Amino acid sequence: MNANEPIPGLPEPYSNPEATMAPAPDLSELAALRAGYVRLDEIAPAIQAASVSRRRFLGFGLALVGGLAGTAVLTRLFPVFSELDEIPKVVPTYDPTAKKWTFVIDTASCIGCGLCVDACKTENHVTREPEFTRTWVERHTTTADGARFVDSPDAGIDGFPAVATAVAASGKKVASAYFEPRLCMQCETSPCTQVCPVGATYQTPDGVILVDPRRCIGCGYCVEACPYGARYLAPAADSAPSDTPGIADKCTWCYQRISQGRRPACVEVCPVGARKFGDANDPNSEVAAIVRNGRAKPLHPEYGTKPRVLYMGPSVQEA
Amino acid sequence: MNMHAGWIDLSPRVSVPVSPKAIVGAVVGEVRRYSTRFRLWMGFLLAVLAFFAVCAVIALPPGWEVTGTTPPFEWGLFIIGYVFFAIMTSGLCLSASLGTVFGIERFRPLEKRHLVLAILSLCAAFLIIALDLHYPVRMVFGAILVPSPTSPMWWMGVFYGGYLVFLFIELYATWGHKRRLHQVASLLTTGTAIAAPATLGAVFGVLAAKPFWFGVFTPVLMIASALLAGSALLGIIFWAVIRFRLTGWERARSLAVPAVRTLMGVALVAVTALLARHVLSSLWSTTPGAREAAEALVTGPLAILFWVRVVAGLAVPFLIVVSPLGRSLRGILAASALVLPMVLLDRYIFVAGGQVAPLTTTAGNVATPYAFYLPSIVEIGVVAGAAAFMALGYTLAERYMDMREAPEGHPPIPVAKIRARLAARRAALRADARPADARPADAQPVAAMVIAGGAVEAGQGGAK
Repeated sequence: MNANEPIPGLPEPYSNPEATMAPAPDLSELAALRAGYVRLDEIAPAIQAASVSRRRFLGFGLALVGGLAGTAVLTRLFPVFSELDEIPKVVPTYDPTAKKWTFVIDTASCIGCGLCVDACKTENHVTREPEFTRTWVERHTTTADGARFVDSPDAGIDGFPAVATAVAASGKKVASAYFEPRLCMQCETSPCTQVCPVGATYQTPDGVILVDPRRCIGCGYCVEACPYGARYLAPAADSAPSDTPGIADKCTWCYQRISQGRRPACVEVCPVGARKFGDANDPNSEVAAIVRNGRAKPLHPEYGTKPRVLYMGPSVQEA
Repeated sequence: MNMHAGWIDLSPRVSVPVSPKAIVGAVVGEVRRYSTRFRLWMGFLLAVLAFFAVCAVIALPPGWEVTGTTPPFEWGLFIIGYVFFAIMTSGLCLSASLGTVFGIERFRPLEKRHLVLAILSLCAAFLIIALDLHYPVRMVFGAILVPSPTSPMWWMGVFYGGYLVFLFIELYATWGHKRRLHQVASLLTTGTAIAAPATLGAVFGVLAAKPFWFGVFTPVLMIASALLAGSALLGIIFWAVIRFRLTGWERARSLAVPAVRTLMGVALVAVTALLARHVLSSLWSTTPGAREAAEALVTGPLAILFWVRVVAGLAVPFLIVVSPLGRSLRGILAASALVLPMVLLDRYIFVAGGQVAPLTTTAGNVATPYAFYLPSIVEIGVVAGAAAFMALGYTLAERYMDMREAPEGHPPIPVAKIRARLAARRAALRADARPADARPADAQPVAAMVIAGGAVEAGQGGAK
């Protein structure tokens, strides 16, 4: 498959191809602002207290520039980071059968900023209505009395308020909490593929579950069959994935992007690296290392659907 | 040529109006012959159907947001209505088959009405599901061009599709007096009438994501429930037949009450046992989600509906049926009139029970502890319209179709036909001048067999 050709039925990627595979931009401040955690007027005294003298500042800057310049020269002389240059910006060919795409979510890192939810809606033309979301963020709160609550205001797209929005949790003392991003698990033995009466839901050779927008009849059977709640019937809204409203829709791991060597939009925008994506068949990839050391586990393995999304952190430690 | 302008003669006895003026005249003339009560009944049904038409236009694509469903509660009143009518048609067909297929003679004279109702109920179910699906036309082509044998929904389409075809064959055979075809078609419809609701149950029963539906008992429950719904509707229909002195009401009076009583009693016991098993095993289940759903039924948001269904839909009708009241027409009517709406309520509880306590957040919607669903006016209008469609169809069938049932006992022997065949055979044998040993070996035995068979059948016919 030519990498530059758009894939029929899937939307065009929105990001600049030149910028692909670049490290994720540091958006943590922005994310924190959006999440309502940090306000500039609140932290202004702290900034003032932390300010340093001009001489020390200049000295620090000089040392930084010198260090970077020195590293650049050393890198030229001894090519330790040369692998980075070899990663193609756009893959010339795509062999789906050779891929074992794996998604890893680190719930210890997630800050609940909701940038991933927003990026997904933009990338895939998903309606902005919060009831219809391909990927969302949940907050799992454990109160002092041991009760557990889940909330996800507007699917987490605007971050989370400080107080849990779960009605039953109001007024209770919080013992612990974590954020859990959710998306389609791309199960190996997927119930949605099994039950589709017209073969509209299918599995690609690289293991991603897709919906053929020309075949789906909108019966909702797959929505009922998914134990992870990843699916919904797209409403007749202003924008619809694949330009087809009324059909079953779900996360595709941005198949239009990953099949062109790019990362899913949610991974790309995650400011803290809580979402990791890669080919587990590539021994040098981060996800391969995570899979090898066995730290990541699927959610609810007892469902027996063999999910391809693995979780690290409190999500699987506390569950 | 007919004397009136705008009419065409199809046969010496049948002429149809073709010009607009003639059609209007014919309809007006027909309505003038109706009694006031009948006109009111038809007017009521047509008013409900008019409301249905408005709702159906609104519900047509892309009018999908007119339902009260949400991603955690994706199957609402459309599915409930579809299950109600699709299950009821099987119950009607099964009770129609008791005479022809299972040989229980006392049910044989009730066949025609069962058959008409079964077809109408299935059409009502298809009407609802066509409005529920977002792309119904694709389903027809998709199901044929891309068979999906792993999907129970695909099999449901196969069985219900075949069932509809077999029902129409049976209709043709019944009214056309094609005896052998009728026997074969009855057998086929009975087979599919068992397979279809069982597959519909499997549509729910394979969903491990919905522990309340999951399991091998769901198809069994559907079949038992089909008999209950079918017998309840028949109770109401036979009350109407006797009350309004419709065709064959004398026979219905002697047969319908004990027949419906037996059927409904058995179905009530079976459904009660299966429902008790379902709820009790869910309440003590270790499967996540099953207990939560059962609690929602017994003490949660569905509790009022559930207990009304148990008391008014199972306990009270059962007491009526087993008491001496069950021998009277009024008792059967009371039991049927209780059971039928409660079966619809049961479908509501069943479909809602599977979704009311979701295992997970769905598409970003947290629904803990319970998912909420309230049917919209459009959904109610469509389901009510499907019921009105069925009632109108049946009313017209009762008025314009020949509802005289086949006589009791053995079907009449076509003696004249057998005699003619024998005579032809004898003539052929006589014309054959060759000696006996030169004739083909099989000629004599065939003739003997035909003569013997004819004699036996003719003997029976004579005795009758």
